[in-house]
Amino acid sequence: MKFVIEHLQKKFGGKEVLRDIDFTFESGKIYGLLGRNGAGKTTLFNCLNRDIKADGGTFWLEENGVRRVPEAGDVGYVLSTPTVPEFLTGREFLKFFLDINEKSIKNVRPLDEYFEYMGIAADDRDKLLKDYSHGMKNKMQMLVNIIAQPNLLLLDEPLTSLDVVTSEEMKKLLRSLKAGRITIFSTHIMDLALDLCDEIVLLHGGVLENVDKENLDVGEFKDKIIAALTEETDE
Amino acid sequence: MNKTLKISFDLKNTYRVNSVLYGLKQIPLVKKLLPEKLYGVRGLKVFANVVAVLWEVCSAFLGKILYFLIMVSGAAAMYGNMPKDGAFVHCFLFLSVIGSFMNTHLFNPTRDKYYAIILMRMDAREYTLINYGYMILKVLVGFLACGLFFGMGAGVPVWLCVMMPFFVAGIKITVAASNLRSYKRTGDAYNENRLGKFAWLAVGLLLALAYGLPALGIIVPEYAAAAVMAAGVIGGILSVRRIIGFDEYRAVNQQLLSQLLTQMDAMGSAAKNASEKVISADTDIKSDKKGFEFLNELFVKRHRKILWKSALRLTAVCLFLILGCLLAFYIRPEIRQGANELLMTFLPYFVFIMYAINRGTGFTRALFMNCDHSLLTYSFYKQPKMVLKLFAIRLREIIKINLLPAAVLGAGLALILYVSGGTENPINYVVIFVSIVAMSVFFSVHYLTIYYLLQPYNAGTEMKSGMYQVVLTVTYIVCFAMMRLRLDTLIFGVLCIAFCAVYCGAACLLVYKFAPRTFKLRS
Repeated sequence: MKFVIEHLQKKFGGKEVLRDIDFTFESGKIYGLLGRNGAGKTTLFNCLNRDIKADGGTFWLEENGVRRVPEAGDVGYVLSTPTVPEFLTGREFLKFFLDINEKSIKNVRPLDEYFEYMGIAADDRDKLLKDYSHGMKNKMQMLVNIIAQPNLLLLDEPLTSLDVVTSEEMKKLLRSLKAGRITIFSTHIMDLALDLCDEIVLLHGGVLENVDKENLDVGEFKDKIIAALTEETDE
Repeated sequence: MNKTLKISFDLKNTYRVNSVLYGLKQIPLVKKLLPEKLYGVRGLKVFANVVAVLWEVCSAFLGKILYFLIMVSGAAAMYGNMPKDGAFVHCFLFLSVIGSFMNTHLFNPTRDKYYAIILMRMDAREYTLINYGYMILKVLVGFLACGLFFGMGAGVPVWLCVMMPFFVAGIKITVAASNLRSYKRTGDAYNENRLGKFAWLAVGLLLALAYGLPALGIIVPEYAAAAVMAAGVIGGILSVRRIIGFDEYRAVNQQLLSQLLTQMDAMGSAAKNASEKVISADTDIKSDKKGFEFLNELFVKRHRKILWKSALRLTAVCLFLILGCLLAFYIRPEIRQGANELLMTFLPYFVFIMYAINRGTGFTRALFMNCDHSLLTYSFYKQPKMVLKLFAIRLREIIKINLLPAAVLGAGLALILYVSGGTENPINYVVIFVSIVAMSVFFSVHYLTIYYLLQPYNAGTEMKSGMYQVVLTVTYIVCFAMMRLRLDTLIFGVLCIAFCAVYCGAACLLVYKFAPRTFKLRS
């Protein structure tokens, strides 16, 4: 399966944030999306998740030569600040989610198994989500996105504010999930990107470009990325 | 010194001007006319600066004119049996004491102070003193002009009028100096925006003295007032040294401004926290339903406090008023006829009442803050089918909540009509009841529809839609205007029912057509 973006454009006022996004992502890989502050990473994700309307261009999923527009169920989007419905308990949120998606989710397992899987303690499962810690909310958000088995998983700086243990757990989880889907992981932290991701993609000057690792060592690769990100664009 | 004044004035202006421009940009149509680089347009800035200078001059007088007009002269004129000049001086005296600690300038943490002292690192003492001096000067000039004009108009002797500005300035300085002294002693800075219990008690007491005593026929005699004023002036003169000699303005300001900052930060999260606080922590709340019905039931049950409780309270109030009305008819039968006539032409008035008691905005607000704000980030929640399914459930719920007080009110009005003498055409009873219920349904549909069509909030729970504000304002104006309409109950009622039915149908059609596209987080 491939995910193809073609000539995607987005302007805010007179500013072209996404100038001409043209890229093909392949399933089974985690793509590290790097870009400077304000480069448009979140805008790109918002366009792909159809939270905002792009000004031009298209994107599609391609499987065995058949193209199709991604539906809502194809995309999972994990935000940097976890958002969960505060008035539900963890268990209720999960039940609600499974109820709604009962047609699309295959082999549903008992709720506790999911909590077990995410490492959410038994006595936290029936607490209101408003009383969850940041890390726990993050886990809930991730869990819901994982259960849906989206073909395209967008992660907007999801590990930035997690403690080291949770962060390691999440990394492990993401690696275990990458088969059969496209994972795009945006981050500011280069080491994290190099550690977790199979490919590094830069968003710079409104376009996406792949940075080839060739046979560079880590230091040289970092220099190459920095050089590419500080390059003047023809804007 | 001039430079400091100029810089601080500039600073204040810049953000005032920018706030005005920002405000303009929030209005739908106007937004499109303004250039993108609005804040950099020089001509606009110059113009705005001129306006700001004019405003500065006006503000020295305008506020004081209103103050005298309403709080002093106007109030004093109410006591017909008291000498006008005496009542004037009496009110002025007590109000000035309140102003001395509620309006100090020195202990009012404002943004311009934050920018100047903390961000721009201006000399705190110089900045504070110069601005304070400027404020005192404004007080002197403003109160001299207004005091003479209004005071002499009330028959107060000229010499007493001339004393007024110096008294106001003096007492402000005296109180400020005493607050500085207390800072030296305790290390806690006084904040005029965070008055304690006792300060509020003092305000209440002084207000009672200012407006209550004249009602009882007591006013402070002129010579006593003059003595108090003279004491204020002398106190002020003696306190000036402390104000100028004080050397910890930076520390005081830092303390006050840190409170301001937490206030500013808190504003964003306060709305969110306040919404979270209303979620009931009762662990017995459960639901056996499935899917969206499950979500909805839990939402309504856990938000009982703001949804059903207030509706029940309103119902109780309606019931109470209706019973009161019936009791009044029983005790004084002669008012029946008047009430009957009133009821036959006053139905339009109830549009405003129904507007006022509708819980629609509270409902949609809670929906967003505690539910949609988070769930709208999940793609399954945004599928058109799901959006519409939930809309239908919510519409049922909001109508249900608002229906209870409406039904009680409608039935009560019909009953009042009957008891007050009835009507020749029995259809009136039905029309009154149905139109009140229809209005309630209308407002429920209206609020939920504009919420779904304009979804005004962004992910940070800020209200971002100018259009939404406009619609709310128009709703208010129309309902308010209805109060002036006098129309036969039968005609108005039938029109109203027809309108509500058509509107509800149209609104639902619009939602079904557009909501899947419009119901999303704003960016």
